[in-house]
Amino acid sequence: MNAPVAPAVARANAPALAPETRVAWPKRTVATLANGLQVVLVESRTFPKITVQLYFRSGNAVVSHSAPGLAEITATVVRSGTDARPSRQIEEDLRRMGAGLGTNAGADLSAISAQGLAEFSGGILELMADLARHASFPAEEFERERRQRLEELKIERTTPGFLASERLRRVLFGAHPYAVVSPTEAQLAAITRDQLVEFYQKHYVPAESLLVVVGDFVAAEMLEQIEKVFGAWRAPKPAHLESAPPPHHSGRHVYLVHLPGSVQTQVLLGNLSITRRDPDWYRLVVANSILGGAFHSRLVLNIREQKGYTYSPGSGVNALRQQGYFTMRAAVRNDVVAATLTEMFYEIDRMRSLAVTDEELSSAQSYITGVFSLGVATQDGLLGQLATAYLDQLPSDYLETYRERIRALTSADVLAAARRHFDSANAQIVIVGDRTQIAEQASLFGPITAYDAQGNKLD
Amino acid sequence: MTGPAKHLHIPVEHTTLANGLRVVTSPDRSAPFVTVGVYYQIGFRLEPHGRSGFAHLFEHMMFQGSENAGKMEHIRLINSSGGMLNGTTNYDITNYFESVPSNALERVLWLEADRMRALKVDDENLRNQRDVVKEEVRVNVMNQPYGGFPWLDLPPVAFRNWANAHNFYGDFVDLDAATLADVQKFFHTYYAPNNAVLLMLGDFEPAQAFALAKKYFEDIPPQAKLPHADVSEPPQTEERRGEVEEKFGPLPAIAVGYTMPQRESADWYIAGIIDRVLHGGRAGRGYRKLVLDEQIAVDIDGGADLLETNGPTQMVTRIYHKPEFTSEGTVAVFDEIIEELQQKGIEYAELDPVKVKFRSDYYSMLESGGYPMPRFGLMHLLACFTLFDGDPHRVNKILDGFLAVTPDQVQAFSKKYLVARNRAVVVRRPTALAGAR
Repeated sequence: MNAPVAPAVARANAPALAPETRVAWPKRTVATLANGLQVVLVESRTFPKITVQLYFRSGNAVVSHSAPGLAEITATVVRSGTDARPSRQIEEDLRRMGAGLGTNAGADLSAISAQGLAEFSGGILELMADLARHASFPAEEFERERRQRLEELKIERTTPGFLASERLRRVLFGAHPYAVVSPTEAQLAAITRDQLVEFYQKHYVPAESLLVVVGDFVAAEMLEQIEKVFGAWRAPKPAHLESAPPPHHSGRHVYLVHLPGSVQTQVLLGNLSITRRDPDWYRLVVANSILGGAFHSRLVLNIREQKGYTYSPGSGVNALRQQGYFTMRAAVRNDVVAATLTEMFYEIDRMRSLAVTDEELSSAQSYITGVFSLGVATQDGLLGQLATAYLDQLPSDYLETYRERIRALTSADVLAAARRHFDSANAQIVIVGDRTQIAEQASLFGPITAYDAQGNKLD
Repeated sequence: MTGPAKHLHIPVEHTTLANGLRVVTSPDRSAPFVTVGVYYQIGFRLEPHGRSGFAHLFEHMMFQGSENAGKMEHIRLINSSGGMLNGTTNYDITNYFESVPSNALERVLWLEADRMRALKVDDENLRNQRDVVKEEVRVNVMNQPYGGFPWLDLPPVAFRNWANAHNFYGDFVDLDAATLADVQKFFHTYYAPNNAVLLMLGDFEPAQAFALAKKYFEDIPPQAKLPHADVSEPPQTEERRGEVEEKFGPLPAIAVGYTMPQRESADWYIAGIIDRVLHGGRAGRGYRKLVLDEQIAVDIDGGADLLETNGPTQMVTRIYHKPEFTSEGTVAVFDEIIEELQQKGIEYAELDPVKVKFRSDYYSMLESGGYPMPRFGLMHLLACFTLFDGDPHRVNKILDGFLAVTPDQVQAFSKKYLVARNRAVVVRRPTALAGAR
């Protein structure tokens, strides 16, 4: 290529940002069918696909005292047969439509999700409706899935990240249903097929559900199709259960999960905090971003980029429906467990005692609002944002006003949120690793209770 | 609402700058974002002998400071522009990428050009990132059940050329031996504009994007002579077997890897389809037989990195089986699946749906795929098509090759490639079951 000689380019400084292009939030079609099913549709025509999520607003929390893990195994077996389609046909139908299917349950939700080629939209919706309305729970499929889940439970108990988060949930939530994230082997073994059917009949109901569809379709036609496929679905709405309140935590305490021979220690600490519906939520999001929620955050700068203790440290605000919680985590080499906890509390306390700089604030605001906007560029991203807004019953202008709400915050707001929601003095600390190498270091931060990987208390 | 099949056309424009840097754009005005990538044609196959893990350690060093953007400046400038960033090291490429609101395009190009021009790092940065990488290896491999399975287990068993067969994450002794001189030498050898492609996707005018690319990148000097690399493998004549201890997980795990035909050969397309016949979720033959029908395995999956590699690569099946079955017996049942394909072939009734799913998955990959950023997969494929095949427009043609595969070809391929002398089998045997067969 014959290139003319270019004039010298000033290179010392980063170019300024060009004027921002306004983010146009896509038009939503929102409807509620006569049976109570809430529907949210957004056209996204760049790729000839559709992405669908059907949510039921009941998960493991509603059964955590009677049958832990029941919602999850119900969701797993839901795809294994309907009155009209045996398991094998379901899988072949999916492939024929270029579709992928997922079924799962967490604490608050059960969900059936699918994505596939737009040319098969009708068939994909019909299959999802079939699973939601006519699942048959074949006994042999249940037994096979239960055995698979049993092996997964055993693997979970060898995974440091799982052991840490499981222990922290138990500690933070006590008698509250959110305390349990996975059943024991005995609890899984005790679940019966009848319980799956009962959970399904009670909770997979239209009045408790949200259907979100994003993709290459015409909204009016899609709504018509949904009415045709889901309209005749009738079932009573389940009663709501009251949950026991989580415990009040006073003082720091260390919970050590002993994994003999570990070459690394998983550190996780946290405290109860708020849900997305709390007026403080936006302030907390910004405070967390500055503390440890972004690559360019204080925690990452400190214990990764300055000290080299860890690869992927971070902090997060976890918004469950009834009660949120704050966490901070890092997987570190065994000889810096005390040093890591010292730095973690230093960073938390600094957020609580000093206002963040204007530069930190505006940088965090740009990061949060920018990443939020990038969400509109993919079907998955859009669907996730819509689901958040509608599942948590946030204001209808949530998407449109999110950015300005973040931008309006001041460093005083961030300081207030940090003081209220980063509960340094009463943080609960979990460490997972080889007790002989880390217990003494951790004892500097509170009295220690030790467990083995199975959850048995150790002396 | 079953409509006609819609065909996707991705707009692509490309040029080459005077210094050899290839520049590819794909405008997409559907949302105000841009995704930018710089891909260097150097991966962990070609790291220096005695320096296993160096290509990946080096990737970390690219975030430690360049001529006009010091340590953490890249990350701060991208995050504070409202964007995300990362880098990854692969077999034949190392990539650096950002997704930002579209008003930050010029800033991103300035940053990427600055670190292509000159790396400015010191011993302290190197010590720091060596520590970080060791914790990365511990968290992903040494302290995880099935960590590194099978991507670190198979190569030393399957291959004979050190380039393909060594520990890509790196032995700690080798990581410790790496010096700042190694860093600068590697940078000057491989991180040259004529060994790279710049990709810009999203909300911009291509003419403006090309002008900015020229402005920031064109005066970066090229590398006069890129070293020749030999990653070829000697012919394999026997099945290769290995065993690795699984310290944490309770289940035996098996990896079966068949070496695949050369990129863009006629057989290569057939490989892509066979991969989905065998794997491809619960409708795949592997899952159906081993998990659903025989109930020997708890999980089975697999794949072949066909599109993103440019050297010896394998189609790998991973099987986690119940401890009451032997690994030998499990492999024997897996072999029945292969034998059935060799003897009876495949009907269109099965092949056609496999292709529909293939097309659907391809679109999903282009939209996002592989990393949670808009058009990450599209960027990734455009880079591979440009660096390996010299033609980013392949993104709009490549599907045709896969969708044209016939049942006869599938059967012939399975007889030719899915044979013992073309494969390696590695078993991860749990410590608790040591000695069991």
